[in-house]
Amino acid sequence: MRSLWLALRDLTLEFRGRAGILSVVFFLAVMLFILGLAFGPNPQDLQRAAPGVFWVALAFAGSLLASRAFGLEIEDGTLDDLLLTSGSREWIYLGKLAFQLALLLGVGVLLLLITAGLFYLPLGPWPWYLLTLVLGTLGYAAISTFYAGMLARLRGREVLLPLLLFPLVVPVVLSAVRATGDLAGGVPPGEVAGWWQLLVVFDVVYVVASGLLFPYVLEG
Amino acid sequence: MNRLIEASNLGKRYGLDWVFRGLEFRLNPGEVVALLGPNGAGKTTLLRVLAGLVRPTQGKLLRQGRVGLLANPPAFHRHFSGEENLRYALRLEGLPIRAEALKAALKAVGLSQRKPVLSYSSGMKKRLAIARIRLLKPDIWLLDEPEAALDAQGRELLEGLVQEARGRNGVVIATHDRGWLSHCDRALDLGALQKADPDRPSSADAARNIG
Repeated sequence: MRSLWLALRDLTLEFRGRAGILSVVFFLAVMLFILGLAFGPNPQDLQRAAPGVFWVALAFAGSLLASRAFGLEIEDGTLDDLLLTSGSREWIYLGKLAFQLALLLGVGVLLLLITAGLFYLPLGPWPWYLLTLVLGTLGYAAISTFYAGMLARLRGREVLLPLLLFPLVVPVVLSAVRATGDLAGGVPPGEVAGWWQLLVVFDVVYVVASGLLFPYVLEG
Repeated sequence: MNRLIEASNLGKRYGLDWVFRGLEFRLNPGEVVALLGPNGAGKTTLLRVLAGLVRPTQGKLLRQGRVGLLANPPAFHRHFSGEENLRYALRLEGLPIRAEALKAALKAVGLSQRKPVLSYSSGMKKRLAIARIRLLKPDIWLLDEPEAALDAQGRELLEGLVQEARGRNGVVIATHDRGWLSHCDRALDLGALQKADPDRPSSADAARNIG
């Protein structure tokens, strides 16, 4: 329950501050516009590129959003108060993970609609896109939250975070791109299930490992 | 009697420089202890070590009970009002929230409910921190230069806070202000500890009882 309160508190703060979320939306708009110009105007070319564009854009946006998980605490100097709350610190990880996941899912849904509009991504299998989005963003958020916590007290954390993050999320992004590409190409969901199973494995491993290690990386 | 804090041979080093070493420290329930010393003597570092925010380089530290830190300066989420900050502090601690209690806590320190912390002065933030520690009711109260930024009325509130904690909780006050000594059972002079030979663990003898 405390984790959910933490996620809710962070979401409220993020939307009141607006700086983080606005910069991500602006970044995505510019990126999709440039990629649209680069791949266009042939609809077939745009459609073929759509799954990759969607996930690469979401991964880059995610690296910007990742620093927000602890950026809110650093900006206001409240990290110590959070660490002083009683009990072990796994709940902090789960709360920050829920916050990251909520942001990524929100941005992901918006991005999906824009990609569908600009890149002719067929929205027919939208429930399956959403399933892929949930599984992909969970794995991504699990790792990004862990590293954001680990780097929270370091200078240059905004530069270090993507360097550490991207090598570990490559399998998640690749699996998600393949699943989205297959769905967009009309492959039946039963045949895409292999990619979802792979994503579930990554999600479970990343969430469990990060949750267990998190209390140690936060120590000063 | 169960001690709230028991530390032996405690030391903290940044790089090659020891902030303190060979320190013996105990805090019993109901006891008020002052940490004295000039700037750089290690008062804040010791408080952070005792709070569990910083890992000591050497020694053993046992702590029992919930810790509350009145930091200098205290930190709050600036886009939240004073009331929202208190509400979330209670929620994250898993404590029950009573609207009247929140209102009363803010009124007691002379703050309004709705103003965002963004518009608070340093003294108002300190008052809000007093309200927070009162509501959270930790077992161990660690106060870092609590008098800083407070006016005379704020100082009275603070002294009331220490009196409130005395007898029930353990309180550690890091301060330059020797006026606090009249409220304390013991004092640990980290400045004297630093002047003593830092290579000798027995330098912890510089700690002295005043009560």
